[in-house]
Amino acid sequence: MSIFSNAVHRAAQLVVFSSFIAISAPTMTAFAENADYKNWDDIVTAAKGSSVNWFMWGGADNINQYVSDWVGSEIKKKYGVTLNRVGINDTAEAVNIVLGEKQAGIDNKGTVDLIWINGGNFRTMKQGNLIFCNYLDLLPNNKLVNWQDSSIANDFGLPVDGCEVPWNRAQFAFAYDKKRTPTPPKSIASLIEWVKSNPGQFTYPAASDFNGSVFIRHVFYYAAGGPESLLGDFDQAKYNAVAPKAWAILNEMKPNLWREGKTYPNSITTLAQLYANQEVALYFNYDPAIFGINVENGTFPASTRSYGLENGTIANTNYVAIPYNSPRKAAAMILANELLSFAAQYTKAKPDVWGATPAIDLSKLDKKSRDAFNDLPRNPSVISPEALAKKSLPELNPQWISAIEKGWQKNVAE
Amino acid sequence: MSDRWKIALLLSPAILVIVILFLGGMGFGFAQSLNYMPIIGLDSPNFDAYVSVLTSKSFYLSAFLTAYISLVSTLLSCIIAIGAALILRRSFVGRPFANFLFQVNLTIPHLVGAIGILYLFSQSGFFARLAHEFHLISQPGEFPAMIYDPLAIGIILQYVWKEVPFIGIIVLANMQSFGDDYETVGRSLGANRWQTFRYVLLPMIFPGLLSAAMIVFAFTFGAYEIPALLGQNHPAALPVLAYQKFKEVDLGAARPEAMALAMIIAFLSGVLILGYAWAARRRIRS
Repeated sequence: MSIFSNAVHRAAQLVVFSSFIAISAPTMTAFAENADYKNWDDIVTAAKGSSVNWFMWGGADNINQYVSDWVGSEIKKKYGVTLNRVGINDTAEAVNIVLGEKQAGIDNKGTVDLIWINGGNFRTMKQGNLIFCNYLDLLPNNKLVNWQDSSIANDFGLPVDGCEVPWNRAQFAFAYDKKRTPTPPKSIASLIEWVKSNPGQFTYPAASDFNGSVFIRHVFYYAAGGPESLLGDFDQAKYNAVAPKAWAILNEMKPNLWREGKTYPNSITTLAQLYANQEVALYFNYDPAIFGINVENGTFPASTRSYGLENGTIANTNYVAIPYNSPRKAAAMILANELLSFAAQYTKAKPDVWGATPAIDLSKLDKKSRDAFNDLPRNPSVISPEALAKKSLPELNPQWISAIEKGWQKNVAE
Repeated sequence: MSDRWKIALLLSPAILVIVILFLGGMGFGFAQSLNYMPIIGLDSPNFDAYVSVLTSKSFYLSAFLTAYISLVSTLLSCIIAIGAALILRRSFVGRPFANFLFQVNLTIPHLVGAIGILYLFSQSGFFARLAHEFHLISQPGEFPAMIYDPLAIGIILQYVWKEVPFIGIIVLANMQSFGDDYETVGRSLGANRWQTFRYVLLPMIFPGLLSAAMIVFAFTFGAYEIPALLGQNHPAALPVLAYQKFKEVDLGAARPEAMALAMIIAFLSGVLILGYAWAARRRIRS
């Protein structure tokens, strides 16, 4: 036997032996979390001294600070739970971690304990049976949530079914610099005209970006004459009727966009930089609070103002969810409950912290708390959520969204 | 302990890492590319994902763009690196400092360099503002587009900036080990400077240059972060295209295609490198 084949033989033996150890290791460790808690006190006891890994989009420093500093110290103080915030670039990354762990058979010792999630990513997790559900009744703060509101009980048209805890409401809005652009376009129709007289001053991120996708959906709603006919499950016939009109609008806009529409920014952060650097005149975001935050930290000019569209803008709720294989579900539930508390929702509604719209029903709070919310000052560059909410449009089912994103890629981007 | 045991034992860590981690991961990826993902209910392997990828126009555009970026970056880096090495092997005042400056890039990560390129060369970047100061342009849009552009100028700049010292060090070490005896002989036999370089020096450093160039080519072909940061959205470089598909939320449709793309990238890199090596071996032997 040659040296080489002998070495391979030995190596193969080593591989078999070590894979035996690797496979049996999880079964050798005794601890598997029993998530059948009977009541809140059991959860508090089980979570004490534990830590929780919260995977969330890390692209905004103010949000990161609020979570790591304020929320982290609250749950440490009250429950002895250590918050470990993990910043990611895209929620799909956390979903992929859980998915990969399920594929590898790691059903009890997952890395991810909580994910900031909604929409298509929630659908993916439901599709792959990756979520832990049916614990909402155990959370004391769950009574503050108005589950009768269909825009909370449904995440992009998919029933939440007790699998997610609401965190923020968000509604899409535009931003502009009133010094440079005194009369911005306030509807899709006037935007189409506006780009003709202001070439190169507008663009939107590609459909692969969350915010770019929602802008494209606004155009889709406009082409369909409103979202009503598009609600519900995906319908290929309806899509085929509306899509060509939407692509025609976007293709007509193309030569007057930034870089003549030959390329689109890869992400909303790039668009923010273009706006801040005065390369484009308009910016937009699902979370208008970000306009105020950027003005406060000096990225955007102080003369930034925001507005919603005349026909309304899309609003949704975002949530937190616990993966099925988290070994620290008690700590995750502590954290989810804390996020719903008046103190947490009020603190993040402050304009210098975040200015985020609360997901709890203010009418379920006592008068003092309700007044505190209503008395919050607002950064002038952020349009008031109440004004925006007067004209809010619902989200579509994730299948619609996938079809629209793919259609945009094929018919407009290429 | 007999020699065979020793060799096997010494080899086993490396082989284990490669077999379990790398080949294991590739195996999973390959299975998914065949549409085999039992956890979301896809049980019957088929080649649909490959067919769908290989019949899409965007794949060929991306492949062409990636090959173009890699080729241009590698060629430019080689030429500049040889030039730099030719200068650095002489002794002159300040040579140790020049050597140090030349190598500083090696320690700076690609991402940091990319952000530097963004800062300097974007249409609202440093040079654009300088041009605005000197009244050469009045709007960001008038500055030439070097980031997010179809010619991938920013990406190539970044790769050249980082790879020139890498290739340069290897070529310089090679040149210094050969010494200048051969070239002196060539000159004394009547060859001029260019002929000495082309017929004496270049063939000697060619093997080292070739392996460095192959490494650079393979790296730029499969690199994700630079085209993601500095590249345009469509057509995107192949690794960016694969990652975009990987991130898509509709698992059943997009994941197998993402894996198929990844397999194709690995295969293409392998083929290009082997082809390059074969062609070069023939040249070296002759």
